[in-house]
Amino acid sequence: MSIAMNSAENALKIQKKNNVKKGLAIVLGLISVLAFFLPYIQFVFKNTTYVVSAFQLATIRGFRVHGPALSGLVTIPFLTRISVVAGVLLPIAGIVLLFLKRPVMAGTAFVLSGITPLIVLITTSSIQTAVTQLNISKISIAYLWPSIYMLAGGIVCAILSIWTQGTEKLAESIFLVFSCVSVGSVILITVYIFAAGSPAILQIGLGQFLFGRTWNAEAGVFGILPLILSSIAGTVGAILLGVPVGILTAVFLAETAKPRLARLVHPAIELLAGIPSVIYGFFGMLVIVPAIRSFPPFRNHTIGDSLLASILILAIMVLPTIVSVTETSLKAVPQAYREASLALGATPTATIFKVSIPAAKSGILAGVILGVGRAIGETMAVIMVAGNVANMPSILGTVRLLTTGIAMEMSYASGLHRQALFTIGLVLFVFIMIVNISFTYISKKGVQMDAE
Amino acid sequence: MPSNSLYGKRKRPFDTFLKVLINTAAAVTVVVLLGIILYILFNGISYISWKFISTAYSETNDALKGILPMIINTMYIVVITLLISAPIGISSAIYLTQYAKQGRLVRAIRFTTEILSGIPSIIFGLFGYTVFCILFRLQTSILAGCLTMTLCILPTIIRTTEESLLSVPSSYKEGAMALGAGKLRVVMGIVLPCAMPGVLTAVILAMGRIVGESAALLFTSGLSYNMPKGFLKQIFSSGRTLTLHLYQTAREATSPDAMHIAFATASVLLILVFLLNRLAGLLSRALRKG
Repeated sequence: MSIAMNSAENALKIQKKNNVKKGLAIVLGLISVLAFFLPYIQFVFKNTTYVVSAFQLATIRGFRVHGPALSGLVTIPFLTRISVVAGVLLPIAGIVLLFLKRPVMAGTAFVLSGITPLIVLITTSSIQTAVTQLNISKISIAYLWPSIYMLAGGIVCAILSIWTQGTEKLAESIFLVFSCVSVGSVILITVYIFAAGSPAILQIGLGQFLFGRTWNAEAGVFGILPLILSSIAGTVGAILLGVPVGILTAVFLAETAKPRLARLVHPAIELLAGIPSVIYGFFGMLVIVPAIRSFPPFRNHTIGDSLLASILILAIMVLPTIVSVTETSLKAVPQAYREASLALGATPTATIFKVSIPAAKSGILAGVILGVGRAIGETMAVIMVAGNVANMPSILGTVRLLTTGIAMEMSYASGLHRQALFTIGLVLFVFIMIVNISFTYISKKGVQMDAE
Repeated sequence: MPSNSLYGKRKRPFDTFLKVLINTAAAVTVVVLLGIILYILFNGISYISWKFISTAYSETNDALKGILPMIINTMYIVVITLLISAPIGISSAIYLTQYAKQGRLVRAIRFTTEILSGIPSIIFGLFGYTVFCILFRLQTSILAGCLTMTLCILPTIIRTTEESLLSVPSSYKEGAMALGAGKLRVVMGIVLPCAMPGVLTAVILAMGRIVGESAALLFTSGLSYNMPKGFLKQIFSSGRTLTLHLYQTAREATSPDAMHIAFATASVLLILVFLLNRLAGLLSRALRKG
């Protein structure tokens, strides 16, 4: 059909279609602006109902709420006000930009306007906390259709205005928006872990928290030095055990094994990586812990749940990571290196240890760091074998690691105790970030070396 | 070995020692793996029965010791998480491989994907709990668990899909473009279908990860073992997965009977993970054969 049509006619038709899209976007955007003055959110505190429009949310000072004993002014969070105002300004900006023939920028403005109800949703939770402090128990916050319209309408407007640039542009924008999800979530995770973790530090004191030797939630004493040291001891132990075995297994797979045998062992390693950590923990609880308990030299010195058990389980769990990364980097070593070494008269074994492994050094190091990350972060396997008492680490004593400290008490903790658990999460997060970034750095360096 | 051989002339005990060490290490790895799997299966497989899989669970009622609710919850979480994360992950991979020009944004996306894959699941659990359960007011619910798991598996999906998209020969693309197809048509009509086994591998790997995950779900989807009452209602209520069921029964087990339940659950989990692993292996082999 389009072939039959001449190009001028075709262009006219596209122009017409685009005008329809543009018009629709403008109309929907105007409705968004209108929705600013419509009922936006409904608060029910006990028996009193407040229906507030976005305009009111931005302008009123707060709610005067009378609780059974206390009464007070519940203010509206500053961020809520800002996002509500942004919710009306952004669609206006979008419409103006559409008239200025900047459809992509208009689309961005519309998408941002669609996000504002979500920010309102997040920020109003502080209203809920404030009302709860006045001893009012029955609180419900409901979002009325204008706020939902703002969310959906913003997205539809954005799609329409970018669509005027053609389907190709629209598709690219959609792919782009989706690929920004991981960027957004890392930023959000970082912000939230820091926001949730810092209040307890301010209250307890950084030195007191990091270097305090006792953790006693009932007494309100929160020192996590034993947890930090146990985590480090567990990780170091697991690496000391797991790395030699892992590297040698990788050497076996990449260098010495007959291909047929390697083809059998390789999937087994992959399977080892896929076993859920709870199963490792279950196995440790039923096999490793009793074995330690009844091992003659240790008998009467340990109940079995111990740092040693955690180290053994973690060593098994980091094996697949180390094996597969090391194997990949050994296989990437050019064959010519090995041939040169053999031609010089070195034995095959000497070639492996003097040529192949040094050449694959940076890859192996990256594998080790990845293993460190896995060991520090492991929770469910360790929780089943570590004994979970916040002692200073000793090889046969019960220990509590950073991860298990969070998982053990999260379900019932409240107040400062809960905040302290979030701070443990923050400490763990900082550890992991250091490990991660050094991994990225080293693996990048490895790539550069290979390129040379 | 003949006596005039080059190797035969000098005995190298250290070489032999190293060789033995290499073989021992490989043997240790394999024995540990087989040990774990066989131990669980030997003790658990005889307790798996149709009744075990098809009845509800109750802590007090001895007649109700099945894992049906846990299987259903696990399925809910797998399906909903994939419905959210697969479009996002595949779109990201398409953008990164087909559209993006090298620049600050692409570097940021790659860097954050890497960071995301290194974050331990307990941190995801904490984040999901504060953001999805509390701020978004989802309470501990399957949906909150799914949103948390989406973040966990996004890197897996992005990276595996990216690899398979990159493995599509560029001559295919060039051929389609020479025929006048637009970029979107080329991507959706040629590149994505050709990379389909790889995309499926990504999805199956992600499924394995979801089935095996526990720490991220402990606070977000919770530990309730009630039978689902309705499709939508279940999404907004708490429910424990198979892994959390194993964790909970193993920790609370006081009698041999309770231990049997834990063993049988562990066996079901192992079998599931094994099947998913094999499926992923088969698919990636199919991809390599092209």
